[in-house]
Amino acid sequence: MNLLEARLARLALKGDQRAFAELVELYQDKLFHMAYRMLNNRQEAEDVVQETFLRVHKNLERYDESLKFSTWIYRIATNLCIDRLRKRKPTYSLDAESNDHEGLDGYSMIPSDNRTPESEMLLSETQRIIHEAIDSLAPKYKTVMMLRYIQELSLQEISDVLDMPVTTIKTRVHRGRDFLRKKLEHKL
Amino acid sequence: MECNVAIIGMHDYLDGDLPREEAQQLQAHLRSCPSCMARFEQLERTEALLYNALEHAPAIPAYDQAASAKLTERIMSQLPKEKITRQNRRGALRYLYKYPGLAVAALFVVVMLGSFISMWQQDSKLVISGEGEVLQQVVIEGKKVTIPEGVHVKGNLIVENGEADVRGEVEGNVTVIDGSLNLASTGYITGQQRTIDQALDWFWFKVTQSFSGLAS
Ligand SMILES: [Zn+2]
Repeated sequence: MNLLEARLARLALKGDQRAFAELVELYQDKLFHMAYRMLNNRQEAEDVVQETFLRVHKNLERYDESLKFSTWIYRIATNLCIDRLRKRKPTYSLDAESNDHEGLDGYSMIPSDNRTPESEMLLSETQRIIHEAIDSLAPKYKTVMMLRYIQELSLQEISDVLDMPVTTIKTRVHRGRDFLRKKLEHKL
Repeated sequence: MECNVAIIGMHDYLDGDLPREEAQQLQAHLRSCPSCMARFEQLERTEALLYNALEHAPAIPAYDQAASAKLTERIMSQLPKEKITRQNRRGALRYLYKYPGLAVAALFVVVMLGSFISMWQQDSKLVISGEGEVLQQVVIEGKKVTIPEGVHVKGNLIVENGEADVRGEVEGNVTVIDGSLNLASTGYITGQQRTIDQALDWFWFKVTQSFSGLAS
């Protein structure tokens, strides 16, 4: 499964810039897409993607081939996204694990720079509602939902990326889904 | 089955994670419990809307091919310079190749790894999935995915946002989502052929898929 990327990583480590460019080509748009959905800001999303590849490049020799390359690169990128989300709201804290649905919602949506009327028009009303609902999720839920629904990772893969037990991931997917169900209830 | 157990079961089911026997118990409960049934239907629709809204999200307005290329350039130019390109690699490594806007050259995909190819093509994403053996034999040309004449493949093929052109023989199902399916006179599909266009259709396809996943 991982042969191509592992091989490219090895070549890149030896200084083959074209091999690294292949890795960029394979992952850049996927990462951008995810980062953009996480951060709702194009500039920040680009910065995250760039920073991700810089880190990958710098740490190639430490890349452990028993880990899927995709897992590794998503881990780096999601951590960078989460960092940025946290920095936006330094006082933001929640641990909904213990307390029903409290904290899932209730933090103000970060205004996005790209919601111009034109881009808005490209989204159907329902899609807009969904995106808004997702944006109102706390970072830790949002991350899981993004990996699940945009990257279509399995629960196990998400658990590998975030380095958390699969039971935690499962709980978050379930709560996130149920939260969105309630948000969309009147629309369904 | 208690309602609270049923609710957990619903999520596990949507995760594709509910053992068959429990799925049957859940079904039985849903049939006899209207409130759980209503909840389940809402969850199913939420799931469908989520996939539809996120996976098929419209392209980010300011991020087109040019912007993508510019970002690539930025990434590559900011890498430390001491590592120098030593070789000019071609061939085998270029499994996956992203088309520049005007290129028309055919791409012969030889996929020995992964069972999933996806590439960005203007606004929508061409996604091809299927068993590795099938993917080894398909020819991708722009948005067209061809099973060449005389080729015999065993396994299912799913093409999303593209055009499937079956000239050879497919021993399995061919499904096209948001695209078209052309079966040439030389072509033959032993399984089902389906073209799915609407979000809801597509969703049922997903559900059925996870059902058959359960059964296998
Ligand atoms: Zn019930």
